[in-house]
Amino acid sequence: MSLSERVWWLLTFGSVGWYLTVTIYVSVRGAFDIRHMLRRLDEQHSNTMVEKPQEPNA
Amino acid sequence: MSHFSPWIDGSIVGLYLLITMAAGIYVRKYVGKVEDFLVAGREMDVFLGIASLAATEFGIVTCMYTAEAGYKYGFAGATPGLCQALAMLVIGLTGFCIKPLRDSGVLTIPELFERRFGPRVRWAAGLVIVLGGLLNMGVFLRIGGEFLVLVCGIGGDTFPLEWMMTILLVMVAVYTILGGMLSVLVTDFLQFVVMSVGLIAVTLLILVNVGWDKLAATVAEKHGPGGFNPFVHPELGWSYVVFQMLVTTAATLTWQTSIARVLASKDTATGQKVYSRTSFFFVCRFLIPGLWGIAALAFFAGHEPANALHAMPQYLAQFVPVGLMGLLIAAMLAADMSTDSSYMLTWASVIYNDLLAPWHRGRWSDKTGLRGIRLIVAAIGVFLLLYGLWYPMQGNVWDYLAVTGTIYLASISTLLIACCYWRAANDWGAIAAIITGAVIPTSFLVMQQLAVTQPFTKSIGPYYSGIAAYVAAVIAMISGSLLKNALRPSEPSLPLSEVSA
Repeated sequence: MSLSERVWWLLTFGSVGWYLTVTIYVSVRGAFDIRHMLRRLDEQHSNTMVEKPQEPNA
Repeated sequence: MSHFSPWIDGSIVGLYLLITMAAGIYVRKYVGKVEDFLVAGREMDVFLGIASLAATEFGIVTCMYTAEAGYKYGFAGATPGLCQALAMLVIGLTGFCIKPLRDSGVLTIPELFERRFGPRVRWAAGLVIVLGGLLNMGVFLRIGGEFLVLVCGIGGDTFPLEWMMTILLVMVAVYTILGGMLSVLVTDFLQFVVMSVGLIAVTLLILVNVGWDKLAATVAEKHGPGGFNPFVHPELGWSYVVFQMLVTTAATLTWQTSIARVLASKDTATGQKVYSRTSFFFVCRFLIPGLWGIAALAFFAGHEPANALHAMPQYLAQFVPVGLMGLLIAAMLAADMSTDSSYMLTWASVIYNDLLAPWHRGRWSDKTGLRGIRLIVAAIGVFLLLYGLWYPMQGNVWDYLAVTGTIYLASISTLLIACCYWRAANDWGAIAAIITGAVIPTSFLVMQQLAVTQPFTKSIGPYYSGIAAYVAAVIAMISGSLLKNALRPSEPSLPLSEVSA
């Protein structure tokens, strides 16, 4: 196996291993990120509603 | 003959589509302002950012052109992936340009240019970004449709390619129009998971069934040492490597779909982490489908299909078994939908935020603004359909994408670096760089289509013309700025890095 072929072998199997690990890790952590993001947006919208001045009744 | 089973594989694909569409439409209720629609209220965290960036930057078109590169050039075809991974890692770790950009709190890059170079530069920059971006994206639908038709073994009169393109587009447009960046982020996450599982499963199947030795031997036999080293490949060489380094570095700095993730991050450090931690994905992005292309080369030995772009899907149609075929198609649909939705939203955001800025001047209500952006996304969808049907592709897909991307990458990356770090930069230099950077690749594309000038463009090739665009944009920026400073000396404005510091 030549040096350049060895480099590509390392990159190929490194890519598959890295991608597999990252997929599992990011799938779990990303789900938590979505939950937090939607909760923060919900809170922001609730605050905006509270801060809005009440329209006087006609 | 495809192994696609309408009942088994079709059910897997149907289930995936149902879940994605439901999730994308569900989050629309969180969209109340233009900022929620364009940058998800700037609430994106690191892991969602990684999933979203990875899903966005990998579409069927990516899979097709990287497989084509693997088929035509062997492992050397994955060189752009190595260049981009390196650029992304360095930029993510150092915060070069992206730190002052995120610190500034802008929605798009042209908005940043207005602060340093004035409103005319913002508008001109928005124009070339949209021009380059839409031309670039114009071929996505057709290539995505071609892949699905070939892998599923459908097409012809019963199910024409145009139908597949239209169905793809409508599915993506529905949730992008309703939920904007929020829908894009949530569906990107689901799509990242499905896409990654499909990509890994098919790659492992190839490595187990075909084997590394056969793949390497095929490359050595068909391409010689050039199949492993781009510098000695007769069709690539140093001009190819230099052009890839320029394109990938400029894309990392200014490609609006990537930058949108930095701008949507909850803070600058998160944006930098998204970049540095996603960097190695770009090696996988080129190498994994490249491997599929090499496997197709080994499979078709002596009976190569006429169109190199179709070799990989034709091979997968015969190689992937029932059940896994459903996962593969769901994975590729996931990849394509995440890319198309992000790209449509990104170019719509530049059109609304920068090109239409002189008209709305930020005074439209959120309701009117949201309606306007949704209309723009729908208009982009119609353009994609028409352009995909009409444009005849010349040469490699990746070369086309690199050349159309250069229309704006050359000038906008030059402007961004100057805006952030060069005191003497001004609007004359900026305008000169935008014009010069756009004229060279646009002329190349037009000349490529004309019978009279076609031999000339073939003799130059896309790599030299691309390098010329980057060099010319830098020279124009420097000379234009120095000329204005000499003719109309004034107090230079501070570079953005010094303002934010």
